[in-house]
Amino acid sequence: MSLSSAASLAQSGLNTVTAEISVLSRNISGASDTSIYSEKTANVITGPGGASQVASITRATNQAVFQNLLGATSANATQSALLSGINTLNETIGNLSSSSSSSTTSSASSPSALLSNFTDALQSYEASPSDSTLAGAAVAAAVTLAQGLNSATATVNQVREQADSGIATSVQTINSLLTQFQTANAQIVNGTATGADVTNAQNTRDNILTQLAQQIGITTTTGANGNMSIYTDSGVTLFQGGAARNVTFSPTNSYTAATTGNAVYVDGVAVTGASASMPITSGTIAGLANLRDNVTVTYQAQLDGMAGALINTFAESDQTGSGPNLPGLFTTPGATSLPTSTTGLAGQISVNASVDPSQGGNALLLRDGGISGNSNYTYNTSGNTSYTTRLTRLLGNLSATQTFSAASGITTSASLSSYASASVGWLEGQYSNVSSQSTTQSTLLNTATTALSNATGVNLDNEMSKMLDLENSYSATAKLIQTIDTMFGTLITNLENLPA
Amino acid sequence: MTSFISTQSITTSMRQSILQMQSDLAANETEVSTGNYADIGLSLGATSGEDVSLQAQTSMLQTLTNTNQTVATRLSATQTTLSGLQTSAQKLLNSLLEGDGSNSNASTIQASGQNDLQGLISSLNSSLNGDYTFAGTNTGTQPITDYYATGAANKTAVDNAYLTAFGMSQTSSGVSTISGANMQSFLDTQFASLFQGTNWSTNWSSASSQTLTNQISESQTASTSVSANNPAFQQLAQAYTMVADLGTQNLNSSAYQAVSSTAQSLLTSAISNLTDLQANVGMVQTDVTNANNQMSVQSNILSTQIGNLESVNTYEVSTRITDLQTQIEDSYALTSQLAQLSLVKFL
Repeated sequence: MSLSSAASLAQSGLNTVTAEISVLSRNISGASDTSIYSEKTANVITGPGGASQVASITRATNQAVFQNLLGATSANATQSALLSGINTLNETIGNLSSSSSSSTTSSASSPSALLSNFTDALQSYEASPSDSTLAGAAVAAAVTLAQGLNSATATVNQVREQADSGIATSVQTINSLLTQFQTANAQIVNGTATGADVTNAQNTRDNILTQLAQQIGITTTTGANGNMSIYTDSGVTLFQGGAARNVTFSPTNSYTAATTGNAVYVDGVAVTGASASMPITSGTIAGLANLRDNVTVTYQAQLDGMAGALINTFAESDQTGSGPNLPGLFTTPGATSLPTSTTGLAGQISVNASVDPSQGGNALLLRDGGISGNSNYTYNTSGNTSYTTRLTRLLGNLSATQTFSAASGITTSASLSSYASASVGWLEGQYSNVSSQSTTQSTLLNTATTALSNATGVNLDNEMSKMLDLENSYSATAKLIQTIDTMFGTLITNLENLPA
Repeated sequence: MTSFISTQSITTSMRQSILQMQSDLAANETEVSTGNYADIGLSLGATSGEDVSLQAQTSMLQTLTNTNQTVATRLSATQTTLSGLQTSAQKLLNSLLEGDGSNSNASTIQASGQNDLQGLISSLNSSLNGDYTFAGTNTGTQPITDYYATGAANKTAVDNAYLTAFGMSQTSSGVSTISGANMQSFLDTQFASLFQGTNWSTNWSSASSQTLTNQISESQTASTSVSANNPAFQQLAQAYTMVADLGTQNLNSSAYQAVSSTAQSLLTSAISNLTDLQANVGMVQTDVTNANNQMSVQSNILSTQIGNLESVNTYEVSTRITDLQTQIEDSYALTSQLAQLSLVKFL
């Protein structure tokens, strides 16, 4: 062992410490990354001849915890997409509190509350059928009810449109993420094969995966050289063999009750909608598709059921012959007969102009009949001002049990008012349920994030103490070099002093 | 194995728990100030339907209670009118009985008959809030034709019948020649028919025989008016007209006797019918009062139920707020202390 080899060993030590410091500073700068940053470690080995060197740079990983995080991200995204839609639907219900609904300036806007107001107004009118002010009040309450159903439908359609455009955005994001993923994956595969530092690319790839999981539920498998494949949670291939598959969706801009939204296709396979053979279960797309294709459709069916029941309840029958029943107080624009299907009725229902004083009609027709304009449908043929038979029958019909479509997901046989209440109960049940699911999922996501951060993240104090070690080792090595230098100096001086 | 925690998770968990506590605090503050859940729909979930349904039921009960006031007013007005009519009918009957068939005070009797007929007509034509109380469902039209108005159909019909039967008008001095038997026959046939069937509805009354029907509670419907077409009023009108407008003061004793005894039997029957009517109206009044009482009890129960669903225990929430405040303050203190705890500060 010579002094010069000692010097070269010391020099390799300096290099190693510098390389380690560089990794350390990358860790420190990544400590507060909002995306995933895994702590990197410089693996130092002592080579033949005793020189130390950085053999490789690896990063802390925990595949199980990471998969857990991906799942939690998707599940949380599903619920929050659903929750934001249901929150908007909730606007159709307004304030539920009894203290506000019983006051004169009621803020209750649910179809149920409006129906209750209308029934009350009709009941008041029935007690004083000669009072045209009360008749006007009953018709005004009917107009408010019809408008309430109209605006509820508009809200439902708006939620469906937003969900549809949300899906479109999501699909674009997925395609763009898959392209980025392709690049990062290629870097890793090449880097791993050549032994280069691929930790940055690995971080990038993990971040892409979490963003992807936000949009659509995924599972991953890793092959040779870190080559990763991505599948949807239903098993459709998103990325395989270094190539991204196409995710396609054609958006629908405008929704009515009868509109059915298009499905999302991954690699040509439908993953949303009723016809999907491999439907995805999590991610923003799954939440939005559930909102667009199920929740809103069911709620719309309930609104339509109410509108249909109103039109039928207030229909007028022919008092002289056997003509068909005609729409009375409630109708749809231009209707000349009773509707055969309830689809979309809530969006169209209106109060017949002939009975609406604000449109030049006569509110007393509510008592007399003949709203349809055909005098054969007049009930009060004697013209008595306190004729109540028709009003009593109407009130009786309102509280009578009716049959509703099973598509509404609530009771199929109930009085209109219980049906309307059940609808409120259904929506609030969804709201409460999704809200608590959302809280649970978001807690799970936080836990998963914390777990991953603790498994692979950076602790500044830890890095600082490592830095102290490296600093000491650096000064020791520097001291060593200085000492070797001194020894060389001494040697040379001694050589000069040798007698020639 | 040493446990490891990343710097990020230390600060994140602190931040998240503070956010959570602050939103809890805001919700709890709303609950304390309103006494209700901050988000009723969220708290009740599917039970919201029940809540809404109870609210609708409460407001329906309130509406029925309000409309019952209208009904009660009408019933009470009807009851007063009926009792007034009964009193005056009884008075006339007493006068007739006291006279014992003698025509000595016939002119007094005729005058009070006229008064009573006018009283009957104005009573039956009484109105409430612009609706004629005794008009049945035809409340927009004055039910009884005023006998003393010019060209009144009922007066004309009586005059014509009289003229046909006796060949003279009621005011003619010749009425004293009408025999008791002829008068009796006139009273029983031609005159009586004037107060029945189509003659009544054409000449006397435009009222509808259909009385008003009201829902007085969620399950009860009641007939809440009396029609002027009721036999009691027909009999009264018949008896009063008989006394007032058949030339009573000039009749001979036997014809007067016929008028007096027929009027007596009509009045007796009318009084008994009126009593029945009063009893019926009284029963409906009791029904309305009972319905109101029952609905008030029901309303209270419903309010309690709604309260149970919507209300929070404010004491509990206040305690929770105090706890949250303490926790948040602790979190702040901890955050600032943790910020100091860094190796960097000691190097």
